[in-house]
Amino acid sequence: MLATYLARRFAQLGVVLLLVSVAVFSIMHALPGDPVQLMLSGAESGSVTPERQEQLREEMGLNDPLPVQYGRFLRGAVIGDFGTSVRLRAPVLDLILDRLGSTLALSLGGILFAVIIGVATGVLAALKQGSWIDGFSRVLAYAGVSLPLFWLGLLLILVFSFQLSWFPPAGSEGVRSLVLPSLSLGLVSAGVIARLTRASLREVLVEDYIRTAWAKGLPKRIVYLRHALRNALIPVLTMLGLQFGAMLAGAVVTETVFSRPGLGRLVVSAILWKDYPLVQGIVLFMAAMYVIVNLLVDLLAAWLDPRIRDEVPA
Amino acid sequence: MRIAGRRPSPGFIVGAVILAGWVLIALLAPAATPHDPLATVSGAREAPSAEFWFGTDRLGRDVFSRVIQAARVSLVLGFISVAIGAALGSAMGLVSGYYRGPADAVLMRVVDAMLAFPGILLALVVIAALGPSITNVMIAVGVSTIPRYARLVRSTVLTVREQAYIEAARLIGVRDIRIMLRHVLPNTAIPLLVLSTLEFGHAISVGAGLSFLGLGAQPPTPEWGLMVAVGRDVLGRAWWISTFPGLAIFTVVMATNLLGDSLQEMLDPRLKAR
Repeated sequence: MLATYLARRFAQLGVVLLLVSVAVFSIMHALPGDPVQLMLSGAESGSVTPERQEQLREEMGLNDPLPVQYGRFLRGAVIGDFGTSVRLRAPVLDLILDRLGSTLALSLGGILFAVIIGVATGVLAALKQGSWIDGFSRVLAYAGVSLPLFWLGLLLILVFSFQLSWFPPAGSEGVRSLVLPSLSLGLVSAGVIARLTRASLREVLVEDYIRTAWAKGLPKRIVYLRHALRNALIPVLTMLGLQFGAMLAGAVVTETVFSRPGLGRLVVSAILWKDYPLVQGIVLFMAAMYVIVNLLVDLLAAWLDPRIRDEVPA
Repeated sequence: MRIAGRRPSPGFIVGAVILAGWVLIALLAPAATPHDPLATVSGAREAPSAEFWFGTDRLGRDVFSRVIQAARVSLVLGFISVAIGAALGSAMGLVSGYYRGPADAVLMRVVDAMLAFPGILLALVVIAALGPSITNVMIAVGVSTIPRYARLVRSTVLTVREQAYIEAARLIGVRDIRIMLRHVLPNTAIPLLVLSTLEFGHAISVGAGLSFLGLGAQPPTPEWGLMVAVGRDVLGRAWWISTFPGLAIFTVVMATNLLGDSLQEMLDPRLKAR
């Protein structure tokens, strides 16, 4: 059972990644704009003969038919060769790996805040329905989907950097610089997680095994924490995979707000520079990361809850 | 007022009033701005006052007038993006759900691939391809909403196609395209309305985000996201330049979320709330 489940999920992963690569490649190549012109539109512009331009085009393989170019692109991507950045004149993979740590730290920080705030609020909201904390979970959910991320970041800077001087408004030195950007990302997801935790815990609390636990005379703390919450958090875990995507996408905005180096900021620069290999590489890398993390999270959930494994294929 | 026999919830009323207010502001924008949104009317970075309610920006332009004028850009962006996403997504969902089989398999794999791009990443790829501009942001945001429309319409169509009246229409020789448009599509109207309301606010937020990054509206266009970006550099000295346009985005998006969720509860309680 588990083997077929794993096989199916890995096959799906392969198909999705392949389609993503086709999508990125075809969108980026369906477009006007000549990479050679862009490359040369710097210091050396004007001094390059049409013959030299043609030679460059040939060297970069831009004269080959698109399917051939795609084949080369895919073969490269599989072994981690995403080509060379036109603007920065460095391998795209090196540029990505340079900034990956910073973006991952930010994403994980965001997830951490989202889980702490979201789960705590959700649990209290489920146990005390109709209380102020239940209302707060609702407000948090609305604020999360309604607050523009970039503006939320600026509000945090206004309050915690300029008014209170607790955290630096920008930069990437030390853990303190990570707090505000992570918090802004975390707040956006906290509401969703709070509502899901609340709903999930309420469903679990009426299960037979919880009644059994009460009947055994177990203390409240054990019933809630060991029996109820543990099971209630499995859907929340699955949601975290999706929220990891929100963190990666959010990093695009948040890194700009807080002037942090990272993949998000790099992809925005690459778009403005019209550095197509760089854009292509980063987007593909981020999508792959998102899809793989979601697969891992799903596998973890299936391991924790065998019922998921036996689900009918979607 | 009653909709589908249910009294509108407080959320519906609050959302509808705020949104109607913004539509009115956008319609009246040229007349409603106290100052020319593009002209220097005062000293640079003056704090909010009786004359300049939201203060002035670094070029001495009236932030209030600019926020009002920018409502037009954002609301138009919301409408166009939603129209693009709804039209293309519904068409895909309709074909997918109605024909099933290979067409369904291919279209749904395309949808899977689109969903593999987290958040604004798909819109970013489209912008990278088309180049930064507010028009391209509308297209990019519209395209990025396609998968949600396709899935929603497909799931509705899958249940509708099994109904007896569809079978009857097919038996008397009505052409597929006519069955789809006349008999199947109307069934998706309510879920489409709910999704479009939610997507409208979402599109405005994402669109403003792209402009914030410098990938959308270009100066001197009054646009909320761009105004927030410009104010960011002087946040410590002139908080009002970023704060008010951001507040405008927040109120619009909040209103559409309230409206969308209430519509869902009133019209289609089966749809799972977020």
